[in-house]
Amino acid sequence: MRKTYLLFLAFFFLVNSILAQKQQVLNLPYGIVIKGGHLIDPKNKINEAMDVAIQDGKIARIAKNIDAARGVQVVNATGMYITPGLIDIHAHVFWGTEPNHYLSDGMVGVTPDGFSFRAGVTTMVDCGGAGWVSFPRFKKNIIDKSQTRILSFLNIVGEGMRGGEYEQDLSDMDAKMAAKTALENRDDIVGFKLAHFAAPDWTPVNRIVEAGKLANMPVIIDFGGGNLSIEELFMKYLRPGDIYTHAFTELRGREPIVDVATRKLKPFVKKAQERGIIFDVGFGGASFDFRQAIPSIKDGFYPNTMGTDLHTGSMNSAMKDQLNVLSIFMAMGMDMPSVIKGSTWASAQAIKREELGHLSVGAIADIAIFRVRNGDFGFRDIAGNRQDGKQKLECEMTIKGGKIVYDLNAIATNR
Amino acid sequence: MINLQHGFYLEVANRYDTMRKVVWLISCALFLITPFIQAQISPQDAVPRYKIVIKGGHVIDPKNNINELMDLAIQDGRIVLIAKNIDAAQAAQVVNAKGLFVTPGLIDLHTHVFAGTEPNHAYSNGSSALAPDGYTFRAGVTTIVDCGGAGWRSFLTFKKNIIESSQTRVLSFLNIVGWGMRGEPTWEQDINDMDPVKAAEMAKANPEHIVGFKLAHFRDSSWVPTDRAVEAGNLANLPVIVDFGGDNSHAPLSIEELFFKHLRPGDIYTHAFTELPRRDPIVDLKTRTLKPFIIPAQKRGIIFDVGFGGASFDFRQAIPALKARFYPNTMGTDLHIGSMNGAMKNQLNVLSIFMAMGMDMFSVIKGSTWAPARAIKREELGNLSLGAIADVAIIGIRKGDFGFRDIAGHRQAGKSKLECEMTIKGGKIVYDLNAIASNLPARK
Repeated sequence: MRKTYLLFLAFFFLVNSILAQKQQVLNLPYGIVIKGGHLIDPKNKINEAMDVAIQDGKIARIAKNIDAARGVQVVNATGMYITPGLIDIHAHVFWGTEPNHYLSDGMVGVTPDGFSFRAGVTTMVDCGGAGWVSFPRFKKNIIDKSQTRILSFLNIVGEGMRGGEYEQDLSDMDAKMAAKTALENRDDIVGFKLAHFAAPDWTPVNRIVEAGKLANMPVIIDFGGGNLSIEELFMKYLRPGDIYTHAFTELRGREPIVDVATRKLKPFVKKAQERGIIFDVGFGGASFDFRQAIPSIKDGFYPNTMGTDLHTGSMNSAMKDQLNVLSIFMAMGMDMPSVIKGSTWASAQAIKREELGHLSVGAIADIAIFRVRNGDFGFRDIAGNRQDGKQKLECEMTIKGGKIVYDLNAIATNR
Repeated sequence: MINLQHGFYLEVANRYDTMRKVVWLISCALFLITPFIQAQISPQDAVPRYKIVIKGGHVIDPKNNINELMDLAIQDGRIVLIAKNIDAAQAAQVVNAKGLFVTPGLIDLHTHVFAGTEPNHAYSNGSSALAPDGYTFRAGVTTIVDCGGAGWRSFLTFKKNIIESSQTRVLSFLNIVGWGMRGEPTWEQDINDMDPVKAAEMAKANPEHIVGFKLAHFRDSSWVPTDRAVEAGNLANLPVIVDFGGDNSHAPLSIEELFFKHLRPGDIYTHAFTELPRRDPIVDLKTRTLKPFIIPAQKRGIIFDVGFGGASFDFRQAIPALKARFYPNTMGTDLHIGSMNGAMKNQLNVLSIFMAMGMDMFSVIKGSTWAPARAIKREELGNLSLGAIADVAIIGIRKGDFGFRDIAGHRQAGKSKLECEMTIKGGKIVYDLNAIASNLPARK
């Protein structure tokens, strides 16, 4: 049985790769050829000048020189970087007009498409807006309506992020219903979210990990204001592969990763990361502080994933968009391949969507093309502290499933 | 005795000397510490005079015909001083605008922001519209006019859901159709739902939000909808803005007739540079020259709005029009989900496109500040006069090789592009791309 399965799998991949390369083999034209760019594909450890050909919504070829004449449309990426379409694992896109519904069908979230493509993002994970009660509405109103690929960390709270007392209601944290909904919607749901719980009580953490175990999916934790120990969270409660977001927060009621007295990274944090805890930026409107991030990075501790915590409170402030977050981490000393990895392949792995976040031949053609702009730039954290930077990433083009969905400077030839 | 006396005198003299020294020392000390004492006791020096001072920028204020280097001070949400050199020390927060342009906050009189979740509601509480704040401030826009999303039947929902929950100043051209832009195929074609009396009543009841009436998307060959919109305009003493719909099944209605027989001076024609078979274009398709009645129509007082959108801007119209020295009056974007990521993108991109075609900076800024303020009869907006609401855009001109497209996919190269560095709405910094404002005291 196992052998047949493996044979089938091998056959499938063979056919798939032949199909993907039929343009090459049969000398047919490609839909799009991207010429002259520098490719960064962390999964495949590519970091060099490469052309990319796209056909039928898939990556058809990656090579040093692909003849421009073979492209129905040619994209001039000279001087630019080509990466997998970015994945933002922490966004709030369950926008709606229900009064007092906060990030769950309320007006504090944003609609995705106006924020994703202009920043090179092709996949966004809504981070707990919907719970199992509200998920069908999220699917109908947002997932099914958006051009951006929208996934969901389902809130452990049935009503999701409706705000206030809704998110404090232990009786609405039903691990079984959450897991059942997740398993019934595997295409859309990638894990579970706990957020904003304000009491010093481990019950919500236990409930969410239970849901995670039932569905075999990761959980992502916004560790509210209960002042519980993050060391215990990382070492006793979470499993390897679970995600801790707002990693660089410095707010009352939350234990920070950098000791506020010594300004040194706490000794257990790297050990937690080694254990497999995923540290997500989750910048947001109140959760990124240079006083946490700079000492962490100096100590060689880097976030695993570059989630933005996009919502109306962060879209126009220090955060702005995912490329701005990447630029901030570059200004603090991270290199470009690392920030790209944190927003592509590492994110795809964290949400167990390994078909995304890379440019292997045959992969879905989600691509970001951007430019590194040199100059004098400034960034801020949520406390208002300023940080200079000499480089800034700018999205020039976004391709989703082989379709150009954003082209800032008309670098594609006319069709 | 003498000695004693002498000693006495000496003693007095010494004491006198000592006194003089002490007095002198005290005076010196007082002189030295006076500024510090004053600093502590004088309210003027303890509290900065201005909330924000913008230093070193080039002010473009078309209403007041200012186009030069100027500093600008803001206090209590108002412009309180424009001068060659304002002392930065008098400001709580200083904005470094060196190398940047300082203009009134932009006004976009053609947007679609009646976003909602009702199924099949298009631009009227539906998913084709978008919530304003994520699209405005990053492009220097502080005021937008929703262009016909709501009609009189849906205006109160629009007011509650969007106007009152947005940071952006949101105004409305009320659709002449009672249900607004609920979309195809029937809602916007229903002449029975075009009630000028009801529309005018709603406008008069909401003068702070409703600035005129919109007609759009009407397909049949009939002047009735135009005349109903103008009737509403007459009843409420407000302008109308016309998207001259049309349908490929019949010849388009004549825009010459529209401009000279149906519209009034001050009424607005949007999608000015459209080239679609269902519409009568301003540039003749055969000769590629501007039709002779267009400039006379503009002289008559018809306002020509860009209304770029997802299908309404064509270089084949705009380039010949500009060559004939015909310029749009207002730079409306027709922002909606179909234009936000397309050729249009945002208002600064639209301005950049017109600059690439030869318009100057002052003119495109006028078309997105003072001209639209006048078009919507909101002359308190769109200028930086003393006492005006402190809506300010700070814009950089980036030099390089850029490209622009029209909705037909034609490419136009450009050497400069406008970028929003900061937006201030009512005296509050609502967007600061590169942290050009000085730090405020650290938050605890």
